Amino acid sequence: MPATSTQPARVCGIVSCVPTKVFDNVADASAFEKEEVEKVVRMAGVKTRHVADATICASDLCLAAARELLQKVDWAPDTIDAVIMVTQSPDYLLPSTSCLIHRDLGLRTGCATFDVGLGCSGYPYGLWLASMMLQSPGFRRVLVLHGETPARFADHGDRAVALLFGDAGSATALETGEDTSSARWWFDLSTDGTGWSDLIIRGGGFRDRFPTEKSDCFVKMNGPNIFNFTIKRVPAMVEDTLQAAGFSKDQVDYYIFHQSNRFIMRHLAKKTGLPEARIPLTLDTFGSAGGPSIPLTITRGQLERPESGPLWLLLLGYGVGLSWGSALIQLCPSAFLGHVEIDGPVVSSAGTTQPAAG
Amino acid sequence: MMTRDEALRWLAGIFEEDPAGIAPETLREDIPTWDSLGVLTLMAELDQKCGILLTEQELKSMARIDDILQVMNARGQLAA
Repeated sequence: MPATSTQPARVCGIVSCVPTKVFDNVADASAFEKEEVEKVVRMAGVKTRHVADATICASDLCLAAARELLQKVDWAPDTIDAVIMVTQSPDYLLPSTSCLIHRDLGLRTGCATFDVGLGCSGYPYGLWLASMMLQSPGFRRVLVLHGETPARFADHGDRAVALLFGDAGSATALETGEDTSSARWWFDLSTDGTGWSDLIIRGGGFRDRFPTEKSDCFVKMNGPNIFNFTIKRVPAMVEDTLQAAGFSKDQVDYYIFHQSNRFIMRHLAKKTGLPEARIPLTLDTFGSAGGPSIPLTITRGQLERPESGPLWLLLLGYGVGLSWGSALIQLCPSAFLGHVEIDGPVVSSAGTTQPAAG
Repeated sequence: MMTRDEALRWLAGIFEEDPAGIAPETLREDIPTWDSLGVLTLMAELDQKCGILLTEQELKSMARIDDILQVMNARGQLAA
């Protein structure tokens, strides 16, 4: 799709959430030799990861983030018109995770809720959907939740993924923009389904509901193909978005990358000609948390925020699908940014089924 | 564009090897750093320096240094 734009929404606040439990890639025991671990840490840049135990799901992380957010932005539950839950780590095959969140936040029945099954590219897609909804009559407040627990679907013996993944959730409160004179938001959303198997969990869905190979329950990544995809698509996406918006690279205050891998991010920065100082990194502390690493980097990436005037952020999501998307958005000084941690489940249905190991 | 000798020295740097120990016939299995991480480094360097994106097939068929040189030659990045 060519880059497109929407009326600007107002970001009232963003809260991220990670599990309290920290895994130190070098200090904590793993299936790999220490030298091998140090090499991966040097290259990928992941020193520690916040990881969910078998009781914590993406829904818990998002619900905790949403509760904190609603309190801070002073949104009563009955004023929320829609919840978009972006996740590929649902609690159940059905119902939608958004329905569990709807119940636990005490939202009204007139609130539209649905899940979006996207991973690394999910945050720009979620913001685009929300900003489109806010242009529809009747929608004034939309909550975008994005959470993943990739550390729970990583094979702990697979070096390509075991040392990379952390878990995170997020909640973003968007409201109809009152200032119609402010600049539009821009999006560039794309897909290449021919790479569907380059990042995949083969088992557990209806194509292979009960896989005989246990490894099919875990994620498999074709690293070289993903690398090629990234360096081919992301620089073009940056250029296309900026060109469509009429922005120069200097007019963007921060480029918020999906925190995939430090080596790849640096290569992308060099290839695209972006200053590394404008590319915040949270990968070293939190690991690669999939798509939610974008809101996590907004809240924890130590962005310098001017007291007056907005920040322009170019958000860049890319990965599983293969799917990629950008969002050029404004973050006003009044937007609340927060972060919470949880050490156990918070969704009220937790415990009603036996949690699976891992 | 690089000469063959320049390319060999450059590849030695990528794999953190002594240039004297790298020749076209050097096997992948004799270069400890030519592992999955080394492949990513090679891909990034080929992209950065030569504008070459390796295909999956090319990657799978690379068993010795000369296979890399052949790809560079085929893409017009190796001086005769």
